Amino acid sequence: MRSISKRTIATLAVLLPLSLALGACSGGGDNTGDAGSGGGDDNTLTVWTWDPTFNIYAMEEAEKIYQKDHPDFTLDIVETPWEDLQTKLTTLAQSGQTGELPDIFLMQNNAFQKNGINYPELFSPIAADAVDFSEFPSAVTAYSTIDGTNYGVPFDAGTAVTALRTDVLEQAGYTVADFTDITWDDFIAKGKEVLAKTGKPLLSGQAGSSDLIMMMLQSAGASLFDDDGKPTITDNATLEAAINVYTQLVKDGILVEVNSWDEYIGTLVNGTAAATVNGIWIIGSIQSAADQSGKWAITNLPKLDGVSGATNYSANGGSSWAISANANVDLATDFLASTFAGSTELYDTILPKSGAVANWIPAGESTVYQEPSEFFGGQKIFADVVAFGADVPSNNTGAYYYEGRDAVSAALTQIIGGADTASALAEAQANVEFAMQ
Amino acid sequence: MTLSVTRSGRNRKEQPLSASVNGPRPWLTGERRRSLTGWGFLLPAALLILVFSFIPMIQALFLSLQTGRGAGLKFADPLWTNYARLMQDETFKLTLQNTFIYLIIQVPVMLILALVLANLLNDRNLRFKGIWRTAIFLPCAVSLVAYSLVFRTLFAADGFVNDMLSGLGIIDAPVNWLGDPGTARFVIILGLLWRWTGYNMVFFLAALQNIDYSSIEAAKVDGANAWQTFWRVTVPQLKPMILLTAIMSTNGTLQMFDESWALTRGGPGYMTMSMSHYLYEVSFLKNPNFGYAAAISYVILILVAVLAFIQLKVGDKRD
Repeated sequence: MRSISKRTIATLAVLLPLSLALGACSGGGDNTGDAGSGGGDDNTLTVWTWDPTFNIYAMEEAEKIYQKDHPDFTLDIVETPWEDLQTKLTTLAQSGQTGELPDIFLMQNNAFQKNGINYPELFSPIAADAVDFSEFPSAVTAYSTIDGTNYGVPFDAGTAVTALRTDVLEQAGYTVADFTDITWDDFIAKGKEVLAKTGKPLLSGQAGSSDLIMMMLQSAGASLFDDDGKPTITDNATLEAAINVYTQLVKDGILVEVNSWDEYIGTLVNGTAAATVNGIWIIGSIQSAADQSGKWAITNLPKLDGVSGATNYSANGGSSWAISANANVDLATDFLASTFAGSTELYDTILPKSGAVANWIPAGESTVYQEPSEFFGGQKIFADVVAFGADVPSNNTGAYYYEGRDAVSAALTQIIGGADTASALAEAQANVEFAMQ
Repeated sequence: MTLSVTRSGRNRKEQPLSASVNGPRPWLTGERRRSLTGWGFLLPAALLILVFSFIPMIQALFLSLQTGRGAGLKFADPLWTNYARLMQDETFKLTLQNTFIYLIIQVPVMLILALVLANLLNDRNLRFKGIWRTAIFLPCAVSLVAYSLVFRTLFAADGFVNDMLSGLGIIDAPVNWLGDPGTARFVIILGLLWRWTGYNMVFFLAALQNIDYSSIEAAKVDGANAWQTFWRVTVPQLKPMILLTAIMSTNGTLQMFDESWALTRGGPGYMTMSMSHYLYEVSFLKNPNFGYAAAISYVILILVAVLAFIQLKVGDKRD
């Protein structure tokens, strides 16, 4: 008995690692069959997207709408956080395993150029005769257009808004009108007043995040790159103006810096900060504080003083649907064309629940967009946002958007810490130029 | 195949010991059998390591000699382009500096702490040993992400640490722990200490079990005090283990990724980013540059190898 058991153990010791290794291999094989849609049945599309309450929800509603005319149609939606999605795309492209791609994936607008230029083999172009891109604002389709070819159907708008706590403003003797169509100088002056009277800062933000700076830049149609894609971090009057506003906000205590996204959301829902400037999608988080219902309002952004082309409108974030190189292209194109680029019904359904404000201009004409929002004190916020969206200046993200943004973030940290603006920006410029070599 | 080797290895015991010494030597001598048995056991693991570790390492070496964005990589001209690029990369130098700050402060502090704790726990008169041991070892069973989140919450502007310190009257205004380069690095080092001290302590505890208690007793009889016993009797006998833990910790810290990623995201700026975190950023977050990332990974490898070599030389007192 003993010898048998010893022998069994020896056999197991040898076979177990081998079988594990083989198991891993066969597992890999199975995945190819699942994820690769090319070989799947003709009525199923696989989709990678990330937010159950937002874009996954929108996809599910789109599926229902498309199923009315195509009863056999189904979607296989795989929840994939954006960071994972980017890592997966990079890995698949790098290893040449494009067969593992889903049919459709969602892509951050700011990352579209980078992925499209580095990995054109991931994408299928979207035929302009199938989707009418003129029905989207050109500032939005510009993100997903590479060399004149469209690669993405815009999904949610990143139109920027200033969201304000009306009850706090009231204590300081202000109304939303006092914060509409103003400049940043006005904003700072009024912010000091609010701080003095209520003890609350108007803004909060993640330390070392240059989101606000990027919104200010776009509000003046400026960016960190020129038309040739060369970085313009130094000698960029708009950027300097934006950084000056930001440092002033921090110095006067009008903007409180926190360290993480969760803390930032916390300052809004806990009532620490009386306002925020961000993409309209931020209202999803704001509305999670049910006790603040009726106490919020939105308006447009302050504009930069003394900068040519400055407006009160900007954008932050937003995303577009891309059709992969591995897709059932005809079905995927028809699906997107008849839902996200062709169904007011879809946008009417998803708007009230998820706050996904359409980029598709015909959707804005729907009556749903004219309905008052109880949380925002009866304001017709969506009609307002669509109106803001039409005025957002287009800007050039370029393939090196993230390099530029992070270099400016690092410079901003140094400047807040007391470093000289010009030399910090020169260093940022050098770092971006280095990354582009 | 391995089965038969095992069987013959077992049979050997039944033969008279002199069989392999006298008469014509059979091919399968005792020594060969033992050696083959050993190889038989090693083979599966060795093959797996070869396929999943060594071959990719060689591929990475070739990758590090290539340049280009995206999937269109070509061999660079000159071949060492990526390595030359490293010399000019200010961000890489900063991450290198950060990693060495972690290494120089964290590894010695952690090992000394682990050594002291192991000695305290090895005390024969200590009660509830099991509880202490578990409590100190437990942090390293905690998921990296979970503990990073807890640390972030503790050190938030309105977190527990600030509340406690201002409650005790030590600070007036909340400290922005993760927002300032100095304190952010401190929090990362603290996190590393918290998580890995217990792990190293277990190694020392195991080594302490192997120290003959009579040697310590003898020292006491000779009139050595606690410190002298520890420093002159215990520590020299622990030397191989100290060397092992030092090399492992150095290796681990040089490759550190999780803390940098989950605790601070490398911020503020790049002031707390580790080399591995930068490698990840170059590969996946920015415009992918895999050739350059592979070059960074080889620099980490070389650093680990050089430091391990120095430690072996310093630790080995044989002539």
